[in-house]
Amino acid sequence: MDAEEFQAVRDLLRSFVTRFGVGSGMPDPKTRAAARQTLDDLGLSELRSSTPPAATAQECALLAEEHGRQPMTTSFIGTALLAPELLRLLGDHALPECAAPTIALTEDLRFPGVNHIGGLAAWDCDGADAALCVAADGTVTVLELGPPAPTADLGRAVRTIPKDSPSQELGRLDPAQYAQWQAFALVMVSSELLGAGRSLLEQSVEYARDRHQYGRAIGSFQAVQHILADATVLVEACTSATRYAAWSLDDQQPTQALKAGRVAKAETNTSLPEVIRAAMQVFGGIAQTWEFPAHLYLRRILVGSLTLATTPDLLAVLSGADSEAAA
Amino acid sequence: MTDLPLDFGDPTELGELRAQFRVWLAEHPLPQRHADEPVSTFLNRWHRLLYSGGWVGLDVPTQYGGRGLSTLHQVAISEELADCGAPGVPRIGYLAHAILEFGTEEQRARLLPRMLAGDDVWCQGFSEPGAGSDLAGLTTVARRDGDHYVVRGQKLWTSYAQYSDLCLLLARTDTEPTAPRHKSISAFAMPLDRAGVTVRPLRAANGDDEFCELFLDDVRIEKAELIGAEGAGWPLAMTTVSYERNALDTGHISKYGLVVERLRRAVRERRTELADGLISEVGQCVVDYEVLVAHARRRIAERLDGQVAGPESSIDKLLMTRAEQRLYETALRVFPEALLEEAGSGELFGEYLYSRAASVYGGTSQIQRNIIAKRLLRLPSGD
Repeated sequence: MDAEEFQAVRDLLRSFVTRFGVGSGMPDPKTRAAARQTLDDLGLSELRSSTPPAATAQECALLAEEHGRQPMTTSFIGTALLAPELLRLLGDHALPECAAPTIALTEDLRFPGVNHIGGLAAWDCDGADAALCVAADGTVTVLELGPPAPTADLGRAVRTIPKDSPSQELGRLDPAQYAQWQAFALVMVSSELLGAGRSLLEQSVEYARDRHQYGRAIGSFQAVQHILADATVLVEACTSATRYAAWSLDDQQPTQALKAGRVAKAETNTSLPEVIRAAMQVFGGIAQTWEFPAHLYLRRILVGSLTLATTPDLLAVLSGADSEAAA
Repeated sequence: MTDLPLDFGDPTELGELRAQFRVWLAEHPLPQRHADEPVSTFLNRWHRLLYSGGWVGLDVPTQYGGRGLSTLHQVAISEELADCGAPGVPRIGYLAHAILEFGTEEQRARLLPRMLAGDDVWCQGFSEPGAGSDLAGLTTVARRDGDHYVVRGQKLWTSYAQYSDLCLLLARTDTEPTAPRHKSISAFAMPLDRAGVTVRPLRAANGDDEFCELFLDDVRIEKAELIGAEGAGWPLAMTTVSYERNALDTGHISKYGLVVERLRRAVRERRTELADGLISEVGQCVVDYEVLVAHARRRIAERLDGQVAGPESSIDKLLMTRAEQRLYETALRVFPEALLEEAGSGELFGEYLYSRAASVYGGTSQIQRNIIAKRLLRLPSGD
């Protein structure tokens, strides 16, 4: 997209997020449905549905960040970015036009690995009616959805996939496409989490300027300033890592993009929980309540840090201890 | 801003420059230090060789002996040098920028070509025993005496002063108690062979004699040696340190890369012997390093996008410190034998000790956090 077009798309998404962001308590089903419909109407699943794609990976990453800035009940990453990208990489496939798939992960929300034998779950599936599973050998199947699965991340829709779900094989990714797919997924999930971390940090900086104790703004105390400065450094580290990984998807070989994607996810896995904890500390008592959304951010970040690949998964590969195939 | 897509790739002309440099390097093998050759002589020899090929001061205008290219060209060459394990090149970039930005035309023409050629070796006289983090509290005084200044005071942490010809010196030129602290400091290019200058090397924890003390007993400095206007030393000092903190100084980052590779090799070769926790730590070092590479590339992309360097260099410095200190802590655990041998500089334990200084030199980590809080986050001050 040219810069103007991209900014227009982002402005639309920004208004949507501002309008439907969960401020206090979880919304009723009617509001959720309205949010889903409004997001659908933006047509963002078109961004990665054609080849060459309408939006670069870096543009998608920036949009993912935007969707992450507030606690949402809508699915954007799974349904509008990851599933279309997967089908795009697959090329010709037999998925019915009307299907609205998301992606399938293991029950503990990781990429299905070589030795995976347990059940599967449809991740980020608000509005989805099917799930696409990529096996470690690159085979892509489409699966039916079961009942909702519990998760600590209250806004993220996850559903079980029945063990006896009929599965239809759609095709197979070659190793380069498989690396590209994993890299894309790692970058988009990292970006959405980054949006959440950056947003809550900004809110806490604002609060530190306004909130007064001992007759002065709490943000004037060095003890508070250093908490916020450290969290800022972490957000910037995550920004550099995810943005670079997104660019790598557009401009580098898939293996390089995958390495950059793993680095980005490893950085966000460890740094963003620290950022959220820092922000909550600055907010003090209010951040410990149900009505204040800090816990929604914390939930999203904590579950997010387990999603696709955990820190131990990633560090084992990046250290060179685990072979590529294992993660 | 970081909210628009950035191009993280090398512009074509940078790729060409790198290729030219590699060709030159193949024709001019890295020099070896002779048996009794002092490090400084060796480094100066290397500096002159690089200069002869046109590889020093790439971002300095041609009329001052540079090549009139951008900072990014200079960065690319620093990266190439570190990648091939070349000896450290005297870091003149930040000094050259101070003189370019604040010196008179006469000073630029007189000082820069000799600095770039390696004819004059420079050091930096900023910190004092009583002015470390609080640099503006420095008490070295330059008193006007006709068309001269007479300087009296003491400097500390003046790296390589014993091998230097000139010192970029900060001294107070207005000693009135009511004078504003930041507006009464001036900068000078002081020759170190002047009467009254005593240099005393200070042995660092790793045994190196990089740092020095500088004693200044009524040293006469000519008026023409004042850099910029009287009282304009503070902005010059701030420009200098923000260049020092910059992530664009990728020579450092490439050096970490060589250690990270050593750790990864150890993991491959000693997979069963190393504890899982240690392997995770190595993985974390890889992450730190790769994030730093991405971060430096982002800064380059932002620079190409027309953004100028500012207080965000404090973020860069904290990220470099995080990477360097974790890296050497981990390296000591992977190679504990480094603690059981006599180690000088260049060896692992020496490098480890040097990494402890990362959170102190160029502004402590606490000072960097203060800068981020006040200048980037715009948090209110306490008074």
